[in-house]
Amino acid sequence: MKPERVPGRYIREEDLRRLPGVIEYTPTARYSYSAGQALSEFLRGLKDGRILGKLCPSCRRVLVPPRVYCEFCFTPTTEWVEVTGAGRVETAVTSYIGAARERLEKPEIIGVIRLDAPGHAENSFDFAGLFHKLCGVTEDDVKSGRVIGMRVKPRWKPVHERMGSILDIECFEPLQPREVV
Amino acid sequence: MKSNIFVKDKVAIVGAGLTLFRRRLLETPRELAWEASREALSSAGLTLKDIDCIVVGSAPDAFDGIHMKGEYLADGSGGFNKPVVRVFVGGGTGVMVPVVAWWHVASGLCKTVLAVGEEKMSHAYPHPQGVFAYIWDPILERPLGPNLIWIFALEMRRYMHVCNASKEDIALVSVKNKRNALDHPAAQAAAKITVDDVLKSEVLVWPVQLLDISPVSDGAAALVLASESVARRVTDTPVWVEGIGFTLDNTHWYNRDLAYPRYLEYAARMAYKMAGIERPWKEIDVAEPYDPFDYKELHHIEGLMLARRCEAPKLLKEGYFDRSGELPTSPGGGLLGVGNPIAAAGVMKVAELFWQLRYEAGARQVKKPVHKAVANAWGDLMQAGTVVVLST
Amino acid sequence: MSLWKKSRVSDVVHVEGRMETERYIYTPGPVGVKVAEALMEGRIMGVKCGNKLYIPAKTYCPDHSEGELVEVKGPWIVKSYTIIYEDMYGAKLDKPVVIALVGTEEAHGGLIHYVEVEPDKVKVGLKVEPVFRPKEERRGLITDVMFFKPVEHG
Repeated sequence: MKPERVPGRYIREEDLRRLPGVIEYTPTARYSYSAGQALSEFLRGLKDGRILGKLCPSCRRVLVPPRVYCEFCFTPTTEWVEVTGAGRVETAVTSYIGAARERLEKPEIIGVIRLDAPGHAENSFDFAGLFHKLCGVTEDDVKSGRVIGMRVKPRWKPVHERMGSILDIECFEPLQPREVV
Repeated sequence: MKSNIFVKDKVAIVGAGLTLFRRRLLETPRELAWEASREALSSAGLTLKDIDCIVVGSAPDAFDGIHMKGEYLADGSGGFNKPVVRVFVGGGTGVMVPVVAWWHVASGLCKTVLAVGEEKMSHAYPHPQGVFAYIWDPILERPLGPNLIWIFALEMRRYMHVCNASKEDIALVSVKNKRNALDHPAAQAAAKITVDDVLKSEVLVWPVQLLDISPVSDGAAALVLASESVARRVTDTPVWVEGIGFTLDNTHWYNRDLAYPRYLEYAARMAYKMAGIERPWKEIDVAEPYDPFDYKELHHIEGLMLARRCEAPKLLKEGYFDRSGELPTSPGGGLLGVGNPIAAAGVMKVAELFWQLRYEAGARQVKKPVHKAVANAWGDLMQAGTVVVLST
Repeated sequence: MSLWKKSRVSDVVHVEGRMETERYIYTPGPVGVKVAEALMEGRIMGVKCGNKLYIPAKTYCPDHSEGELVEVKGPWIVKSYTIIYEDMYGAKLDKPVVIALVGTEEAHGGLIHYVEVEPDKVKVGLKVEPVFRPKEERRGLITDVMFFKPVEHG
């Protein structure tokens, strides 16, 4: 039976730490990430409680989050378009773990929201959308699938707390409590 | 899909080798690459002297904790005083490695290529999940404190919704692959488990639970590819690379439907066209669809057009994808069973098909006669698709 | 292309970020463990491949065969060197630091290490010897050798 030989030696963490010649190192690299032209405007819009997209003059798609180019047509995008923020939940999950795989005390619900962009081109595959937390829905809504297709809108942070960040939207919440479309 | 590819030489795989796949191995990353390379070369009856060019594949540098991992791994992969290239398309790297090796030979540039995939995920503490944080968009995604499993869970949930697939249906993949891996000498996560075990395992990001996911692994895998003239000289049973394909879908992953892997269909169409395959669901005998998560195997079976959309869960239940089934998938155990040292895992899948097509897989050998096989891998932020089609 | 013309650099938002992981723990590997043990005993290892000797020690040879670990006994010489006047951030050092490629006449390669010598005294071919830390401070790392120093004549 192939493979006939599989070299390699398993070692437990505590044994590895005891080996002579083992090296421990903690890197930290600091960055200042440029948001670029389109996202900078988008972030300023969030501060004002507005969700901005860019319109592609060629395919008439509204791109949210906005980009300076339309990746479908490879042309520069032109006008800014404000969307209401209302939309439908495409998919949603419940996370019981944090970024470094630690258990969370309170699970979080996260989803992809397909945003309404009436009058503009979209298809079943490609759409204007955001990725964010969901509130006002339960773990059971996720499991049963009730949350999928649910109409939602952004819940904004109070004006004085907004920083021009994606977190200026606290979460997306049901448009009308428990409405399922 | 337009394909206008000039092929000077037919390309065959003539050797394959693996290291153990384990949560933590004593060997350094370059030693793992060296061990796998040696196994591949000796299985082909060749030495490093016979190799013209080197292809090294490895996923994010941050796993091993060494920047420019490609040049770090190069000498362990025999890459020195020779043309060497490093390949990196996230999880898709493992199958991109033979794809790139293929065009080195097909173009006539090299007669023989040593193609190596390596990953060491045990260097990062407390958990390699922490390192994944830096593949998210720093402006719009990272502030939400995401865990990488989020996106896969979102995709799985969407697939379940659109295809009306249950958690039980999907867990069967994990049951099958971990069982298949019991016969694999390198396997890390081989086990006899039931659907119930999967459903009772730790819930990470519902619907994803611990046993829905492949393990964190160290390991390396290598292949030797050769032109037709060399292949016919060194072996009586070359395995031909008949087609290759690779596609990247839209990076704005939450601007597209996640229920269907369009990136894979495009890549598969490219590869099938090159291989002259018109009805993959009839013509492919055995497959290694990329299975870092259990739902992903079903997703990829559909993307590879081995089943109609949303039909894979039903076929799975009927035993269609078992080793003794009509179209065995992941007969070696896949990532769920053998392990998932990212770039090495995809190479391992291609190696498994190499052994299957040569009837060398022993206890893992599928029951039916096999002539044509397909493997795929998937990566970056869910949008890279890489495919190879093999035949005897 | 109206967007490009209208925008000013000051309009662009920057988001602070930091890449961090709790730590990396790098395995020395099976051969690395032997090399580390030798260092703790005050020995520097190389690898013998056929009739060639390579420094530093590695698991495998350039032709991919398995090498044989051997002690490098010297005599050590400076094969190349550089003099460092600034630290990583461009700040001037109090005292220039001499970094050298230290090896032996017959061996291929060498170790990159500090040489404790006045910058105007260093030259290619300078005979040097390793100075180890006290035994109880050694950890099997290359820094178990504190530095190389010129061999005293006479």
